[in-house]
Amino acid sequence: MLNIDLSLTLATLIFCIGATGVLVRRDPLVMFICIEMMFNAANLALVALANHFGRIEGQVMVFLVIAVAAAEVAVGLAIIIAIFRTEKDVDVDTISTMKG
Amino acid sequence: MNEILFDLCAALALITALAVVFTKRTQYAALFFVSHLMAIAAIYALLNAPVLAALQVMVYAGAVMVVFVFAIMILDADELEKLMPAQEGKTFIVAGVLGLALIGAFFGFSNHFDVTHALAPAAAANATLLSVDNMASLARVLYRDYLFPFEMTGVLLLVAVVGIMVMAKRKLD
Repeated sequence: MLNIDLSLTLATLIFCIGATGVLVRRDPLVMFICIEMMFNAANLALVALANHFGRIEGQVMVFLVIAVAAAEVAVGLAIIIAIFRTEKDVDVDTISTMKG
Repeated sequence: MNEILFDLCAALALITALAVVFTKRTQYAALFFVSHLMAIAAIYALLNAPVLAALQVMVYAGAVMVVFVFAIMILDADELEKLMPAQEGKTFIVAGVLGLALIGAFFGFSNHFDVTHALAPAAAANATLLSVDNMASLARVLYRDYLFPFEMTGVLLLVAVVGIMVMAKRKLD
């Protein structure tokens, strides 16, 4: 049986790398990829804990998260492309159309 | 054997994750992210979740990343780079420090919430239930106990598709 602490440490590190990526990068597409990476880290933690406790519910949760993430990617990329087509600008600091 | 494989995949996942963040070009970031997802899928397989490993490869590394690459193509990554203001060294340092602080906070707090030892680890019988017939036990729980959330993801996907159609068809003005 694999060491649970190792898996959770890996998940934490990947989550932090993703969060740092969102902070460092200005390119909206790479920021989006980094958000996906954070999703993945959470999924990894769920799978590791499901394995640790011998319960399948964690894997069910990951299944649902993957479905939600797929929907989120489609909508998010559509929004990025729509903004790019109307504004001709992709600097995340200057885009304020969606401020409400 | 499994431990060595796990370490290899973990190292690959970490290296590719860092490569996504620090590579200059958007296309390369997407490709590194695909290999990152593959490494994570291998780890899923090692953690008694072969069905999720297959799903990860098909849905994430397949479908989702194809959408990403399409978006990069439509937006023309080279043009994007020209529009992007030059990266300042100061933001890099601040973000790096924040990232390190986040890692520190996580490991600091993990001592207060001892999740992994709060409950007894898996009984041997349960563990075999996980690994022997992963697909069947996953389906049993998903379609019996979690049927409503499952149906709701279907509704969510439908709403997402309709929303994208509305956004794509709208007149640009």
